[in-house]
Amino acid sequence: MIDWAAFFVVAFASLVSSAVVVSLYSLGLRLLTTAGRVPVVEPAEFTGAITVLTPKRAAKEAKRARKAAATPLTRGQKKAAVLGAYACFVLCAGAVIFGVYLIVPALHG
Amino acid sequence: MDFTLIVALVIALALIFDFTNGFHDTANAMATPIATGAMRPRVAVGLAAILNLVGAFLSTEVAKTISGGIIKEGDGGVQITPEIIFAGLIGAIVWNLLTWLRGLPSSSSHALFGGLIGATIIGIGSQAVAYDVVLAKVILPALIAPLTVGVVAFLATRLAYFITRRDSGKADGRGGFRYAQIFSSSLVALAHGTNDAQKTMGVITLTLIASGMQDVGTGPQPWVIIACAVAIAIGTYSGGWRIILTMGRGLTAIKPAQGFAAETSTAATILASSHLGFALSTTQVASGSVIGSGMGRRGSTVRWGMAGQIVLGWVLTLPASAIMGAFAAGLALLGPIGIVLDLVLGSLLVALLFRRSRATRVTHDNLHDIDDAGRVVKIRKTPRKVSRTDRKKVAL
Repeated sequence: MIDWAAFFVVAFASLVSSAVVVSLYSLGLRLLTTAGRVPVVEPAEFTGAITVLTPKRAAKEAKRARKAAATPLTRGQKKAAVLGAYACFVLCAGAVIFGVYLIVPALHG
Repeated sequence: MDFTLIVALVIALALIFDFTNGFHDTANAMATPIATGAMRPRVAVGLAAILNLVGAFLSTEVAKTISGGIIKEGDGGVQITPEIIFAGLIGAIVWNLLTWLRGLPSSSSHALFGGLIGATIIGIGSQAVAYDVVLAKVILPALIAPLTVGVVAFLATRLAYFITRRDSGKADGRGGFRYAQIFSSSLVALAHGTNDAQKTMGVITLTLIASGMQDVGTGPQPWVIIACAVAIAIGTYSGGWRIILTMGRGLTAIKPAQGFAAETSTAATILASSHLGFALSTTQVASGSVIGSGMGRRGSTVRWGMAGQIVLGWVLTLPASAIMGAFAAGLALLGPIGIVLDLVLGSLLVALLFRRSRATRVTHDNLHDIDDAGRVVKIRKTPRKVSRTDRKKVAL
């Protein structure tokens, strides 16, 4: 019958690795934007995704905006944020390289 | 045995199957980056084709059995004749083309297994099929793979949005996920090349071994590797645009953060499953993660009708290709005349399906028609309460 132990190991491994990689990259983007260096990547072609905000969500975000405006970042903090962002991206690149290592049999064989 | 006509036919059909496998599965890796505009459609399928080509050369270790234990072959079991493989391949190719015409992402390996099972039941007898292996290796993974990866992609999408959330009106930099999408999708394409081209190499090599043209236990010959790699790459480059449309837009409107979360989950799950000994279908994993990421973004809707159609396609893949494989095997049993009849009927069906596809062409040229309309329509961004009818409008 089905090997449930192997299945749970696979599910757990994919959950943890996706969560870590996605979090790292998101954190990198977040740090870049807080440092004022918003990455603008225009779509190669216009696409159709639309977001709709609920009033509750909008009110919450307005509150956060007021709070953030009261305490701007210093230059040092901004620099640290950019460095942190780069560190995150380097770790993500490491994840990609590890992925290639897993795919190519000659490397891990 | 010499290089007989039937062996040549099996090799030709195996390469055609490899081609359909390629264009059926372009969407797994490249539907989301195309949908978010991370790459232009032509660039995306070109990249996928190159990675499939490279992947095919990276891994050439051929399986010991054609069916992976689904048919009791080898020592103490039955001998799968080239005629049965021939019939199984016809079933798999016809089913792949049918699902492509409907724009359904279905598993090519399940189609191959189904065709072989059907052909074996008619050609040898139903006792030759290991039904417990079918259940454990094909049916149950097909049920749990999309669910598992759906949950993973859902959580990954939530995380991505949670971490990059900023105050409304300020740029959140989420467009930056487009760069990451290129890498996560490329990993999926490379993994696909190493896995799927190998299957066809296995079919051809085992046929050559069975007909006494190659020593037992040897790997695929160089021309087999090259032919399989080229067939899957050409298939990938011709791009199953219908399936890309289904995966990229039919299930949910994908944004860069979702696309990245979905492809990362797909890549992680496929790599984990192939290394920890629990094989999962790439197609089912990819569709599951697109649905999961669709549910993970607030305000986005998943079209469950489309999801239901895809699941129905998965359920039907094995029995439908088995029926077609069985039919082809029944004809092939008649001898050379039957094989010719198989070929004529198969070619007629393929021609018919291609003619049907011309009526509703989907290519990279008209893939973005809807979006071009978006350029001239102003989308209201002010917050408002979403009524049921509006939700439906967004979904359309």
